[in-house]
Amino acid sequence: MIRVESLHFAYDGREVLRGIDLVFGEEILALVGPNGSGKTTLAKHLNGLLKPTRGRVLVDGMDTREHTVAELSRKVGYVFQNPEHMFFEETVFKEVAFGPKNLGLDESEVEERVRWALGAVGLGGFEERTPYSLSGGEKQRLAIACVLAMRPKYLILDEPTTGLDWKAERSVVETIKSLREDGHGILLITHDMDLVLELAERVVLLEDGKKAFDGPVEEFFSLDLESYGLERPELLVLAEKLGAGFVRSVEELAGRVKQ
Amino acid sequence: MIYQFYVERDSLLHSLDPRVKIIGMLIGITSLMLFNDPKALIPLFLFILLSGRVLGKLGIGEQLRLLKPLLFIVLLTVLIWPLVYKPRLIGLLLGVSFSLRLLGFGLITFQLLMTTRQRELILGFVRLGLPYELGLTLTIALRYIPTLYGIASTIMDAQRSRGLELDRGNLLERIRKTVPILIPLIVASLKTAHELSIALESRAFGASRRRTFYRDISMKRRDYLALGILLTCFASLFYLRFVLGFGHVVIYR
Repeated sequence: MIRVESLHFAYDGREVLRGIDLVFGEEILALVGPNGSGKTTLAKHLNGLLKPTRGRVLVDGMDTREHTVAELSRKVGYVFQNPEHMFFEETVFKEVAFGPKNLGLDESEVEERVRWALGAVGLGGFEERTPYSLSGGEKQRLAIACVLAMRPKYLILDEPTTGLDWKAERSVVETIKSLREDGHGILLITHDMDLVLELAERVVLLEDGKKAFDGPVEEFFSLDLESYGLERPELLVLAEKLGAGFVRSVEELAGRVKQ
Repeated sequence: MIYQFYVERDSLLHSLDPRVKIIGMLIGITSLMLFNDPKALIPLFLFILLSGRVLGKLGIGEQLRLLKPLLFIVLLTVLIWPLVYKPRLIGLLLGVSFSLRLLGFGLITFQLLMTTRQRELILGFVRLGLPYELGLTLTIALRYIPTLYGIASTIMDAQRSRGLELDRGNLLERIRKTVPILIPLIVASLKTAHELSIALESRAFGASRRRTFYRDISMKRRDYLALGILLTCFASLFYLRFVLGFGHVVIYR
């Protein structure tokens, strides 16, 4: 359980986060909000990259102020928006092995974790490729594998599908779904409302460093999203017109319409 | 923003043509090199400092603060001269005045940067004969320092999230730990540079040989006046030094 208690944070005197309370466990939580609302700043507090100015963050009882990022990286994995910002090794294998090696694991354990992580994101057989030679979706999944290999319980994904084509996006979505089934808690930072509709179990909406909404997906989509600068998914608009109520996927809508 | 020296003021130095200021800087640096006598160097330094205050409306403390990075080498100079030179008191005096010469170089350069906008400065150099491509390269390089700084901190955050501990281990280990930071940074820089070159070419950069400038600079009467005064001062200092023999002491016999 990650517990955020009345978190305040200021960059050079400017308050970016203004009192946030949040509990996050084994679920897919979508963190949404306009640019500059504090999404990334909040996420960076969950693995200790940023420390609260006021309030506190507890990761399974560990206060982030008292632990280093390296210690917290065993619990919370953070996948940055641009995967290329982390690649530096010659091969995919070595790239994924970097994290577990930092944890001080022995070679056989490292190898086992690398194989497992690559398998989990569907990149088995890519071990000898060069990270920079992969396609967009593959790079994104490799970035997830790099973090996954450290076996964190919680994963933070910062806009994992931005800039990907439909097929690549599907591969990332499938990866996220299977990670959730394996018992990971996933925090999804995104602007893509379709993705929220499809994946999220709960949504937190930030505005000006404060929580504007925290609740289940269905309730979230009944908000006036446009007033927050967010777009209502086409699927919901269509479902409404067809009188099908709240649906989460095209299949679900098709099923209702057939009835 | 880092590496931003310019301070907005309404002063004579700010309003002069950048070419005059560049020539002024060169004259100032040459003048400092003409003399080695404390009798000349100490007043010269104070003169530069004061002219920054009076002509450029730059605070004394504001000017001196920028010289902080030179502090170490200044201390070294002031300490070593009296140790190796006899009589020691003269050695100390020489140490102080040579430090002031060095600080004077720094001060003049910073005064130029503090009173001239980056684009005017580069335009000044280009108007003085620097190839435009070189001037542009310089502008772009300065422009991208904050951007790269931002990318570097993101990369550091990403690698720390993978368990990299930058502030741990001995010197050799720490050097090795910069590899996961440097490689993504170099790749990102190269990509940015490549994209930038495409953007430049798609706006027909280099299509015409003679460039015109949207924001041009021109020498006005007071610019010529200032240039005249500068050159007269320089000539007088030259006369003082080589005809009257003032300001030079024999240090080594």
